[in-house]
Amino acid sequence: MGKGQRAVHAFKSTEFIEHTRDKDGLLVGGEQYPFKQAPKNSSTLLLSEKTTSTPAVSKEVVEANLTEGVQKKEPSELEAVPTLILVTTYLSFLMLIMFAHMRDFIGKILNPEQYVQLREQSGYAPMVSDFESLWTRRLYGRIRDCFNRPITGVAGGRVNLLERVSKDFNNTFQFTGRVHNVLNLASYNYLGFAQSEGPCADKVEEAMHANGITQSSSRAEVGRSRQLAETEDMVARFVGTEAALIVSMGYATNALNIPTLVGKGCLIISDELNHSSLVSGARLSGATIRVFKHNDVRNLEKQLRFSVSQGQPRTHRPWKKILVVIEGLYSMEGQFPKLPEIIELRRKYGFYLFVDEAHSIGALGKRGRGVCDHFGVDPREVDVLMGTFTKSFGAAGGYIAGSKALIDYLRLHSHSAVYAESMSVPVLAQISSSMRMIMGEDREHALEGQQHLEQLAVNSRYMARRLAEMGFMTMGDPGSPVIPLLLFNPAKIPAFSRECLKRNIAVVVVSYPATSIITGRVRICISASHTREDLDYALEQISEIGDLLMLKFHKDKVAQEHEQSSSTTSSKKNA
Amino acid sequence: METVASTASFVSSASPVAGETDESSHGFLRTAWDFSFRMVLRYIKNSYKDDPFRTFLEVCLIGFIVWYMAKPKYNIGTNKVELSEKEIDELVEEWRPEPLVPALTEFERETLDKAIMIDGPNGTKVRLASGSNNKPVLNFASYNFLGFVDSPELGKHAVESLRKYGVGTCGPPGFYGTLDVHMELEKQIAAFIGHSAAILYSQAFTTTLSVIPCFSKRSDIIVADEGVNFAVQQAIFLSRSKVYWYKHNDMADLERILKDVNKQLVGRRGKNALPRKFIVTEGLFQNTGDISPLVELVELKHRYKFRIILDESFSFGVLGKRGAGLTDHFNIDPHEIDLLIGALCFAIGASGGFCCADKDLVEHQRLSGAGYCFSASLPGILTIAAADAIHALEADPDSYLDNLRDNAVLLRTLLKRIPGLQIDGAADSPLIHIRLAPDALVRMKRSGGAWTKTDIDRVLTDVAEEAQKDGVLLTRAMYVDDHERILPNSSIRICVSSAHTRKEVEKCAHAVKSAVSRITSKKR
Repeated sequence: MGKGQRAVHAFKSTEFIEHTRDKDGLLVGGEQYPFKQAPKNSSTLLLSEKTTSTPAVSKEVVEANLTEGVQKKEPSELEAVPTLILVTTYLSFLMLIMFAHMRDFIGKILNPEQYVQLREQSGYAPMVSDFESLWTRRLYGRIRDCFNRPITGVAGGRVNLLERVSKDFNNTFQFTGRVHNVLNLASYNYLGFAQSEGPCADKVEEAMHANGITQSSSRAEVGRSRQLAETEDMVARFVGTEAALIVSMGYATNALNIPTLVGKGCLIISDELNHSSLVSGARLSGATIRVFKHNDVRNLEKQLRFSVSQGQPRTHRPWKKILVVIEGLYSMEGQFPKLPEIIELRRKYGFYLFVDEAHSIGALGKRGRGVCDHFGVDPREVDVLMGTFTKSFGAAGGYIAGSKALIDYLRLHSHSAVYAESMSVPVLAQISSSMRMIMGEDREHALEGQQHLEQLAVNSRYMARRLAEMGFMTMGDPGSPVIPLLLFNPAKIPAFSRECLKRNIAVVVVSYPATSIITGRVRICISASHTREDLDYALEQISEIGDLLMLKFHKDKVAQEHEQSSSTTSSKKNA
Repeated sequence: METVASTASFVSSASPVAGETDESSHGFLRTAWDFSFRMVLRYIKNSYKDDPFRTFLEVCLIGFIVWYMAKPKYNIGTNKVELSEKEIDELVEEWRPEPLVPALTEFERETLDKAIMIDGPNGTKVRLASGSNNKPVLNFASYNFLGFVDSPELGKHAVESLRKYGVGTCGPPGFYGTLDVHMELEKQIAAFIGHSAAILYSQAFTTTLSVIPCFSKRSDIIVADEGVNFAVQQAIFLSRSKVYWYKHNDMADLERILKDVNKQLVGRRGKNALPRKFIVTEGLFQNTGDISPLVELVELKHRYKFRIILDESFSFGVLGKRGAGLTDHFNIDPHEIDLLIGALCFAIGASGGFCCADKDLVEHQRLSGAGYCFSASLPGILTIAAADAIHALEADPDSYLDNLRDNAVLLRTLLKRIPGLQIDGAADSPLIHIRLAPDALVRMKRSGGAWTKTDIDRVLTDVAEEAQKDGVLLTRAMYVDDHERILPNSSIRICVSSAHTRKEVEKCAHAVKSAVSRITSKKR
């Protein structure tokens, strides 16, 4: 088989891998786990030449997804929470806040100098108001060591953490000079492309030799290089749209482009759990903003019917445009949007759909093309596809993809294209090289991209299943590379993080205000660069921590189920 | 006693319904509930015995509270029209949205088609992919003030750092995205400027967009210069603060507004807390090339108890004896600037931005600065490129800045001699806007009709194209016309670099001169 052919067939090899999977997507049959390490010679995997049709979307897939969405019970977050946990969590927060106020009260009497910043002084209002900063000073301050942990080197499957200690209750940190190599369950390195060696890094080096580092100008002026234009074309091809625009920062992609799409007299209907950048963008646009309940299509439809029929507030003039903004993968929840149903609504109500694929692009779908690929939806059904390169591609920045008319307009009128710096050379090279690998266009590494995708899918399903088996309460849809594990009690949040660090695992814990006050959680991000040993080690340690912190809320249920299943099998045997 | 007994029986009869499972936690809760219920009943009974009127009053009070809580919080008058389902369906059917984006105008289409595409590295000399011949042209369009963009030594070091840090950091700074080099660069910048601490953002535009709303909230007051760049305008809008605009660089007007603001505040101080008050301006104005009179600003700040937010995106690395920006230029203690915003993507030739402030304020941003908290950190390579550039500038500021100033002064004098042009901006600012003088415009219009903005833009585009034929790359300053608060007059923005030679600067002036004379001689 010629090289070109190999490239063409690269993604079709899914078929080869697929027939040895169980319902969780885990590999079964062979004792040897085939993808522990990416094979050096990619052609070994091409021994079986199965030419199947491209994994294009069939109608059944869509329907299956639709029915699945309807049938699947949607357990409300809090419904399943044991009452005792609920009560203790609220009580703990109450206690924390009471203590915080008491400490402030007493501190202001005993040690007024420390609170000078919070008072009006010589005619200047305090920069940070007293009440506003209470959370930061008294609650976040206590667990500050769990955040902003500095690293060195690449945030790959393992990461080098700089050890730091605090002698003044997390006010300041001192570095000990020691470096810990820990397992990284925190970075968004879904496909494992965050590397300093290997084909992508080589391409980056080549590009830097050829094109320098940056442009020192905006895209609309003289910041547009041939490399940028070519990468934009590639992104459009990857996403499956006519054109794409690259922006040099992920947050800015939303914050600086939404104002170009909608403005006064327009309406934005946004999922309540949307990312801060979407909120900023919506606020900057000057459009009216309404919020629908997270992933609740019925609520969205209600909002739409109300908005379209009532028109603009007071004047009842019809809305100029309605933009529905959702995310492709809610990174704090690990949940997918109900895209097929929302697209149904789009056909009916004629709104424009904006999907933020920050976390889903590269990580979801058989071909890594994001949430549209996952649900088998034509990307052209979505008006604006936004995504970032920070996560799956190991680069930085983001893109907006859509019709040529849209992108052409954005190229001249988007704040990011006209005012902000254009994308730097190494980042562009990283994007194009990793994307080529995922698409199987890189002839020398024709299969690696697909392997990364496979490995990620297998890893995430394995991790989620094992955690659920242990009795942990996890959130998220099956196949999501982000697995939130609920902790609830505020004291368990830093405890989990510190225990993990003790056992050489880096995790991200999040609590209010990033989540609701009750559902403090640890967020486990799976990467394709994790080996099965890595995950098993992590699971073993997390299991221990779970026992220690009493986190296995479903332990009894799991045991029961286990008992039931074993009893049925034994009864079968008896029969 | 009868009532108590009956309640007890009521509770016990209700309890099996409440919790069918026999979990210990439920049992405990039930007991607690049971107990408290009895307490309340006993209390009510006793109080009724003592004082029936009091119970009546309490019931009224509870009723009032329930009514108060249940009523809509505040009525903004939704003005809702009651419609039947059928009517709604019809309205849904009828509603036609505007197209997502309007079609491009003819001129916009032209602009897009003729957009400059650079082939190879950016720098003082660039090759254009769009040009007919592959001869390099002199770049007077990039903000490459110090020539760091095409500095070979910096490039080499950056390539080496690739092998340690890879490209992306794969996470926001809060979640394992803080590299050791980020912390070093933050310290380095703070030390270079002479401020207490610094925080690094990954894009210059977003730095401004994050810092201002981070401190200035809805009830606060911003007094801002009318000529500030778009990022500052957007940041002010995002903060939702009360904003007053003063005439560009007009200190008398600023003082008038500050006085006014303070006068208004005197009355309301009793009721509300004192709002934070900020003066927001730019060091070197992107849209005019002017320099802010910092000495007066600092004086006004103290007199009227305002804080200063200064956007030094374009002045950092450019102004001052050491290149440390406006405070260096005027020899003022940087601590006088409460929030100093800078960019690393222009003069420094890397990417990203930073904010210098007191340590507390920097730490506050690490949790509340949206662009810091919610987006990936700056790639390691670019961080190191920025650090190297600042090191180079620190080591030998004169070799960069003397040249830059000489070139800027030279080009400005040469350009001022060209008839039909209007050159604004400070004498030694390397950012030069050239605009068509009104008399030239009058001369050019054959029919004597009014000039539209598109007409002027077209002329300027033609000038830039003509200059490109002579081997000088220029660009019309681009704006999002309908989003700017006050759209600056159309101009060609020329950026001088210290890496330009005297001859190259002369060539640029010459190219502009011949392009202008060729274009303006044509009647339209």
